[in-house]
Amino acid sequence: MSKLSSDAKTSMKQLTSFPSLRTAIIAFGGAAVVLVTSILAKPDAPPPPPEPLNGGATYVGEAVCVACHQTQNKQFTHTVHANAFRLNPKNDLQKHSCEACHGPGSNHLKDPISPSNRVSLIGYTKEWGTPVAQQTAMCMNCHEGGQRMFWQGSPHASNQLSCSDCHNPMAKVSATGLLKKQTINETCYTCHQQQRADFAKRSHMPLPEGKISCVDCHNPHGSTSKTMLKTDSVNETCYSCHAEKRGPFLWEHAPVRENCLSCHNAHGSNHEKLLTVARPFSCQQCHDNTNHQSNLYNAGQLVGGGAAPSTRIIGRACQNCHSQIHGSNHPAGARFQR
Amino acid sequence: MKTNFLPRVSGLALGTAVALTPLGAASPFAATDAGVGTVLANKESASANASRSADPDWPVAKHTPTGQMFKLPFNVPKLDDIKKTASGWEYSGQMEFGYIGGDADERNAQYRMYQDIDQGAYLNNLSLLLKKTDGSFVDLTAGGAGRRDQYYGLNFGRVNAWSVKLYFNEIPHVFTDTYKNLWSDVGTANLVLLPGLTAGGTASTAADTAAVTSKALSVNPTTLGLARKRGGVRLDLTLSSAWKLFASYALEHREGARPFGAVWGNNGGTAPIEIAEPIDYNTQDISAGVIYSEGLNAFNFRWTTSLFKNKLDTLTFQEPFRIAPQGFTTTPAAGAYTVGRFDLTPSNQAHNARAEYTRKLPDFYKGAFTAVVSAGTWRQNDNLIPYTTVPGITAPNITILPGGDWSTTGSLSRSSAKGVIDTRLVDLTLSLNPTSALNVKGKARYHETDNNSDPYYAVNPNAVYVDADGNAAGNQTRGISYGGFTGVWGRPLNDATGSGGLLFGTAPTPTGSVEVKNHLYSTKQFRFGPTADYQLTKTSNLSGSAEREIMERTNRERARTWDDRYKLGYVNRALHNSTLRASYEYGQRRGSRYVTAYYEDTFSGAFIPMPTAIGTNVTSWAVRNNGGLRNYELSDRNQHTANVRLDTMIRPNLDAGISLQMRESRYPDAAFGLGKSSQDSANLDLSYQPSPKQNLYGFYSYQQGRARQASIQQANNVTIGAVTALGVITPENAAIIGPTPGGPFYSLGNAWGAKSIDHNHVVGAGVKQEFGKATLNVDYTYSLGRTRIAYQYAVGGAINAANAVFAGYRLPDIATDISYLDASLRFPLTDRLALRLVYRNQWEAVRDFHYQQVDKNPVVTANVNNPPTIVVLDSGPKDYRANWFGVMFQIKL
Repeated sequence: MSKLSSDAKTSMKQLTSFPSLRTAIIAFGGAAVVLVTSILAKPDAPPPPPEPLNGGATYVGEAVCVACHQTQNKQFTHTVHANAFRLNPKNDLQKHSCEACHGPGSNHLKDPISPSNRVSLIGYTKEWGTPVAQQTAMCMNCHEGGQRMFWQGSPHASNQLSCSDCHNPMAKVSATGLLKKQTINETCYTCHQQQRADFAKRSHMPLPEGKISCVDCHNPHGSTSKTMLKTDSVNETCYSCHAEKRGPFLWEHAPVRENCLSCHNAHGSNHEKLLTVARPFSCQQCHDNTNHQSNLYNAGQLVGGGAAPSTRIIGRACQNCHSQIHGSNHPAGARFQR
Repeated sequence: MKTNFLPRVSGLALGTAVALTPLGAASPFAATDAGVGTVLANKESASANASRSADPDWPVAKHTPTGQMFKLPFNVPKLDDIKKTASGWEYSGQMEFGYIGGDADERNAQYRMYQDIDQGAYLNNLSLLLKKTDGSFVDLTAGGAGRRDQYYGLNFGRVNAWSVKLYFNEIPHVFTDTYKNLWSDVGTANLVLLPGLTAGGTASTAADTAAVTSKALSVNPTTLGLARKRGGVRLDLTLSSAWKLFASYALEHREGARPFGAVWGNNGGTAPIEIAEPIDYNTQDISAGVIYSEGLNAFNFRWTTSLFKNKLDTLTFQEPFRIAPQGFTTTPAAGAYTVGRFDLTPSNQAHNARAEYTRKLPDFYKGAFTAVVSAGTWRQNDNLIPYTTVPGITAPNITILPGGDWSTTGSLSRSSAKGVIDTRLVDLTLSLNPTSALNVKGKARYHETDNNSDPYYAVNPNAVYVDADGNAAGNQTRGISYGGFTGVWGRPLNDATGSGGLLFGTAPTPTGSVEVKNHLYSTKQFRFGPTADYQLTKTSNLSGSAEREIMERTNRERARTWDDRYKLGYVNRALHNSTLRASYEYGQRRGSRYVTAYYEDTFSGAFIPMPTAIGTNVTSWAVRNNGGLRNYELSDRNQHTANVRLDTMIRPNLDAGISLQMRESRYPDAAFGLGKSSQDSANLDLSYQPSPKQNLYGFYSYQQGRARQASIQQANNVTIGAVTALGVITPENAAIIGPTPGGPFYSLGNAWGAKSIDHNHVVGAGVKQEFGKATLNVDYTYSLGRTRIAYQYAVGGAINAANAVFAGYRLPDIATDISYLDASLRFPLTDRLALRLVYRNQWEAVRDFHYQQVDKNPVVTANVNNPPTIVVLDSGPKDYRANWFGVMFQIKL
């Protein structure tokens, strides 16, 4: 019975107080580094007043723009931007319509052709050359906060992406979102080709079929997670659709509770059920226990492979028996078999 | 072929569809920062949209700031051509309908996995947009009417003021079309064997095996799948340019069935058979919030609730073989075990409140401070079911007290699950711009998943041990108290047919392998560190970050790990009409002491001291796991990640994208388990758009994934007094020598290793060409996947000499080839009517060793007089080839 006092031992294994002193020191040290760096870097002299847009140009009005840009106007008319600016503007900026995004256009009129005069207007193409930060700032005039609360510091912002790397505000190419491609997924694939390849595999999320999109899980405008997930953790993202996996279960499987990606590739896989590695090898990466878990299951144990076929490699392999692998609520479910 | 699937349109679908179909339907439901349901489409809507002609008036294609070509906009009505009703509504829209023929009825599960193509009339791509000069609008969308991938949406309101979105979206998910169904009422919670099969088997296992084999080979294959139907409403209200409100509600219903493993006793290995798990879920998602942004402050608050209801609490199934009542000697008699019962996933609920705040600090280094606080809880309190459905079970050395029968809840330590996990998040970021070229940030994040469930003890409090019977448990077991309970410990496994080893007190040697307490896992994550972004030139940036992530876990082999990551990034936007992005990250994870035998205290072996007599087998006290194994999420890790991407405008109408990704993870302290994994890819994209009438693209991706693992196959017992390579085993060192690689149990001669290597090639190409008024669009994708699993071992160790002949050194490759061709030719017939001819060629070939030959051999047995090794009723993925055509008419509204 001596080991029964191990409840006490177990409790000792509970979390230590958190954060520890060492952690706290490191955290505050990191913050101090940021502040000291900032101070030592000595800020610029008091910031000059904001530079007037487009070299101090003045607004000329939408009619002037449309006089030349009729084709653009034809497309723009069908966008949500046009509807907002023209039919129910919320402020003076939006009333400027074209110039709400491109800035005041009077200087552009002076020489609308010459490349040297492109500073006279804010453009959103590579050809035009307006700095990305300036493009983004214009968009943020209306789109600050909300879904874009975490844009600054997001992986996309850190990679110097402009809003118009994904969006085309001038035409309704996509059903929603004024994207540069017809769909969210196609837009994401223009940079994330490895995920496009994942979705082309035998086992995949239903993106190629058009039934969900990258944005069902990710917020491309940034979030508090490193991979721009829309929730606080991987599992919470998965539970958004797979609520039955949420539990908590009577008998829990540790890696399942910690991270669905312990076993699954969220995008696609050569293996059934989005598994990262085929069963039983995926399970045996952690299970080398005193029973059958440590055995080498091999070609000789397949149906037709030899004299000793094994349930542990045929069909669902480990899950032929441990079918409740995500957790069991059965009092006899410690081994996830009920 | 029988199909166990849903009726085409459920009540939920009807309710929404009837409301929306006359009008068409709308736009997505979820925002980019929360919730699911961001698209309303299906496979065919993409095909139809691809054939739309481009705007012939649009100037030459331009490029995004990165250098990728914008897609040319579609041809849309000129301003003067926009139609208007007498009441002032401008409107535009279209619909497509027609007939699909050929092989569209193909039933293959891979073909139908997430789509529903059938022969016959087809209505797709209905859209209608109405708007008035006061900003009022109605936006309708619909597609796949009546199919299992149908969708409908309605969005109306006043632009920039308010909107209401209603939607319904259905996603099919077909798991198999080759299921050999042995039960009636598949899809329900009570599976009754078909006539000709005997519940609980007969006196002749050989006859049972023959009957099951005959039935499995003679029944028509059944399709198992589910349909996910989600309908919802969302209200958005713009109070001012600063304030917005939203509220949403969604109801999702999932119904169907899927293949599911069921096994019987003997420590969990007898007569496994694939049954069909019924699925009948309802999930309600409720969300509401406020958004504020103006001047220096931005603030979001959101409340979300998710209520998951499983309408089926348990699954009871009849099993067709006679299961011997091992370990339970008195009752019931052989043949009494006729049914098994699962406790299906419990209903649960989740709630979360989240607040996000950003404050700009223009006078403090042009900075900004962002704080996020989030708190949530996940709960379930399902009533627990008894261990077994079989009444009257008794076992040696145990006396059941009144009310303690294992088929009643009196045998449980409590009556409900009482599961609670609380989550908390605090995320802080301070961003400063000390100079116009330098941005620095300090980030700190704390996230906690705290399992506050009550511990569960597997004990029958209404049973007692019998004293002095000479059984292994012995006198000392009477009156064992643990966790506040006294009774008989352990659990009858799999409806009381398990061996006595799963009920402490009845076990033969070795004793003590019964898990008597559940494990509650909690995690605390703390991540912090600075980042810096320096503008080298007007068009190039250099960034760097250092980060430490600490994870603390309860009830894991390693209580604490810390991961240090260092990252460098470089962006150059002006390399000869190109943009280069490159990054490299090195991560190193280390942690506290790894305790392989962490869970010993939750096994009943802890109830009694390890025997000390020479010659005693003490394996179950001494060994639980290989002492050299490290779970990869806990082990030390050195990780390199590199990404390079170049987007270049080769010509104004031709651009290319080249990207390389590499990630390698090594686990230096893992002598066994996962030792190394890597994932590499190379990608090339080309896009050529010489005119609005012509567009070509092509892409190629190559991926390689590798995983290397090692293990030691179990061998001899750990016996007191035995002489081993690590010394003579004593009671004091048995728990040290036992799990140690090279010891008697994990003999190095039994070590084996395996490598899994995935290779994938994906190539795609497409062309869009307008010939006069006709438009041809062709999209093609070919995906090749190969996985090779090779292993090494010592003959005579992990594999004996006789079996080595069959084992070889690798498994048959898992191979997948998927080809998809979609072609359409569109002719305008009148100003408002166009004809679109569609051709689809789709095929897939799959080889997966798991399902090798199981189609013809569903009952796998080594001896027909014993219960089978396994009954595999799902034959796995099959090849298919489908050619179909469609004659579709498109009408402009």
